[in-house]
Amino acid sequence: MEAEVIEAELVLPTYLSFKRVQMYEKYPKGQSRGRHWKHLKQILQAENYRNYPPDEPNYVNIESPPSMHPCKRLCDMTGYEAPYYDPRTNLRYANAEVFKLVRSLPSEYVQRYLALRNAAVVLK
Amino acid sequence: MVCFCSQLNRPGQRHWSIIFSTASRERLKKKKMPFISKIKRQTDYNLFPSSTPIVIDNGASYFRIGWAGETEPRVIFRNIVQRPRHKTTGETVSIVGDHDPALLKYFDCTRSGPRSAFDNDVVYQFEIMEYILDFAFDRLGANGSGIDHPVLITECVCNPVHSRSKMAELLFETYGVPSVAFGVDTAFSYKYNQQHGICGQDGLAICPGFSTTHVIPFVGGEPVYRGSCRTNIGGYHVTDYLKQLLSLKYPHHMARLTWEKVEDLKMEHCYIAPDYFSEARLFQKGTKEAEDKTRCWQLPWVPPPTEEPPSEEEIARKAAIKERQGQRLREMAEAKRSSRINELENELHGLGFLLRQLEQVEANDIPSFLSATGYVSKQEIESSLAKVTQSLRKAKGEPKSEQAEVEEKTEASMNEKYPLIHIPDNMLTSEQVLNPKEPKLKKKKKKCIIIAIVIKLLLAMVSIQLKEKRRQIFLKTTTEGRQRAKQKRVEEGLERERKNQEDEERRLENPELYAEQMRAKYKELSERIDQRKRLKTNGSHTNGNNTSGGVGRGERLNAAQRERMRLLTTAAFDRGKGEDTFGAKDEDWQLYKLMSRDNDDDDEGAEADEAELARVSSRLQEIDPKFVPKQELVPPQSAAEAPRLRPLTKEDFQIVLGVERFRCPEILYHPNLVGIDQVGLDEMTGVSIRRLPSKDEDLEQRLTSSIFMTGGCCLFPGMSQRLEAGIRMIRPCGAPINVVRALDPVLDAWRGASLYAAKLQFTEQTFTRMDYYEKGEDWLRRYQLRYTL
Repeated sequence: MEAEVIEAELVLPTYLSFKRVQMYEKYPKGQSRGRHWKHLKQILQAENYRNYPPDEPNYVNIESPPSMHPCKRLCDMTGYEAPYYDPRTNLRYANAEVFKLVRSLPSEYVQRYLALRNAAVVLK
Repeated sequence: MVCFCSQLNRPGQRHWSIIFSTASRERLKKKKMPFISKIKRQTDYNLFPSSTPIVIDNGASYFRIGWAGETEPRVIFRNIVQRPRHKTTGETVSIVGDHDPALLKYFDCTRSGPRSAFDNDVVYQFEIMEYILDFAFDRLGANGSGIDHPVLITECVCNPVHSRSKMAELLFETYGVPSVAFGVDTAFSYKYNQQHGICGQDGLAICPGFSTTHVIPFVGGEPVYRGSCRTNIGGYHVTDYLKQLLSLKYPHHMARLTWEKVEDLKMEHCYIAPDYFSEARLFQKGTKEAEDKTRCWQLPWVPPPTEEPPSEEEIARKAAIKERQGQRLREMAEAKRSSRINELENELHGLGFLLRQLEQVEANDIPSFLSATGYVSKQEIESSLAKVTQSLRKAKGEPKSEQAEVEEKTEASMNEKYPLIHIPDNMLTSEQVLNPKEPKLKKKKKKCIIIAIVIKLLLAMVSIQLKEKRRQIFLKTTTEGRQRAKQKRVEEGLERERKNQEDEERRLENPELYAEQMRAKYKELSERIDQRKRLKTNGSHTNGNNTSGGVGRGERLNAAQRERMRLLTTAAFDRGKGEDTFGAKDEDWQLYKLMSRDNDDDDEGAEADEAELARVSSRLQEIDPKFVPKQELVPPQSAAEAPRLRPLTKEDFQIVLGVERFRCPEILYHPNLVGIDQVGLDEMTGVSIRRLPSKDEDLEQRLTSSIFMTGGCCLFPGMSQRLEAGIRMIRPCGAPINVVRALDPVLDAWRGASLYAAKLQFTEQTFTRMDYYEKGEDWLRRYQLRYTL
């Protein structure tokens, strides 16, 4: 290790005195680590919230509902108000100049703009 | 407009410096506190008794740890872990928090990005959590065996019991903590501010955090989770949105737009507009206000070294040097020429002398005499003499007319040189072959001796004569051809001159009409070229994506390709059934000639047209000052490509934040803009109030009259006004609405927790290891802190 790295104490030391079980004992090398952690979706499924009274607050209960207000239509590229949308690419645009830009975009950028809005076509 | 640059100094510390600012009345508002990481190892761990709790604010953005009862956390760092490999030793190490990028160059960070233990706002990766806790306790100064203090740690609202139990297990088993308490950070913040009188006992706490936003109503000082509400949008999404927008707008600066940098930009420049559309309209119209609000980030850019216009002396000096060099060259050339002339003259004299000598010598002795000098015959000497005189004349630089004479002379001599051409074949004799120009020298040969030899030679050498004759014919025709070509060129030049003169006359007599004609011709030519080009690229059906040329889905072939297809298919299917007899006849192969001719025609025509166009445009440029040659219609491609056609300027290295400044935080109010189908901040309050178990007008009024904002994201300027306006829209008319902000939205959660843990009754709220194992998971699920002690 280089001197300055040691000095800056960048690296986490492997042995810590206050720990009862060290990291290398808990997660021995060679074993696949981290793949056995449950993701949030799996955690929530395992929680079985259905078995409990519905008016008790739990993680899934307190999620917000979809919005009641009409959704704002913004131009994807400039951010202005966009009353129109391009049927070929599904992008929203504000006026004719922006439309020129929209039509001239390569398809990679089109997909990225749509992905911002979560409206991209995802092929699985 | 204000421009600035930024520098990263030490780990976690950033400061901004302004390079220059135009005359703008916009004074910089009071700067927000930048998030600072403190990771210095604390030394006073042993000074604290075992009863002092350790307070941890485990946030998705920052991890804060400190002692109960203090006002500032001791150690703060970003809640991420990297596991890069060291470049030289090859071992994999763990690095917690954000560090000086200069030190990270010793590590190979390509495979290991920063990882967080959180998914949304729930801890799920406990290995990473363990690294983080290791680091935190280590920096707090922990030594000895085990952490012997009670720990108060924050969690998210309604934390799933799986996460909670794993966390408790981690603390109990690995660190040996005696007792643990879990609390919600928003509640701690609310209680802290309530004690300072900012908010009342009943109120609504709104916490836009890093990855989620919560709204929790407080009744009687306790949070009512049944009325709480969570939207999965937060500061992370705002930064991500800004990063993607800027990357799409400036693709060639993508490398500079790192996540940390964009976060800094967001913190410094983003604000919330009171009404989105009216603000957007300001920018759309390009008003002065919009100009003021636009910020521009100048990336470091070194302009190419500009050559200063040289001063007078410079010019004079350079001219003098050039003059001198020219003079020297001329002198050298002069010297060479004169030496060459001398040489030639000498040679001439020598040859002349030789000739005179030759005349004096007898005819018989000529061969032997000449062999000494190196020439074979008198004719040769004469021809070399002629050459030398000619070159001498050239060297002396005599006018061309003489040269023409000389050329004529050479022509005449040429005719002499090819006498054989005029003699028909059968009359050639061997003598003429051997000595084509010297019949005189053959005199007193003894005929009787050599007749036989001569006849033999004749027979053998007829073929050589023929060959010789053919060679001379060939030479003559080629030289003639060359002369003809030269003449044609001269004629063409004359013709062009004549045409130009005519043009000039026409122009002088009627400039207007001439210009008009020229312009019309230019337009016509350019149209023709455009049309041809359009035909070639199948019109503008491509999405600007000019990779066409080949046949793609749905792209029609142009005329030439269609024609080829037709020819090929008819050829293939025209023949008899079942048997392909294409190629049996020779005419079949003419097919390919047809196809290629179709293609070639176009090209030739195009070339001629383009040459003509160039000529006409240059002409127009000369005569008409207003004429601007129409630029080639390059299809407008994304802004990234256009700058490459001209030298890069300073503007190319500027990133302009105009609409993005208020477009990005807007997603907190409208998560629909990024595709998250949930309510925004203002509507959330309505939802929360609706969800309250009891419907009480009075209570609702009390709630809305004390709306409390905390969390990192509420530091955007303009947040309070917007929230107030939004809530007013959904509450009945006349309801009291009062939006207040926490004293320090970022650190108040930790401070509240610290204050809470310092109270004596805190120990009742904790649970020990025994409790955890005895009472089981169900009890843990129902475990909630009581915040009013």
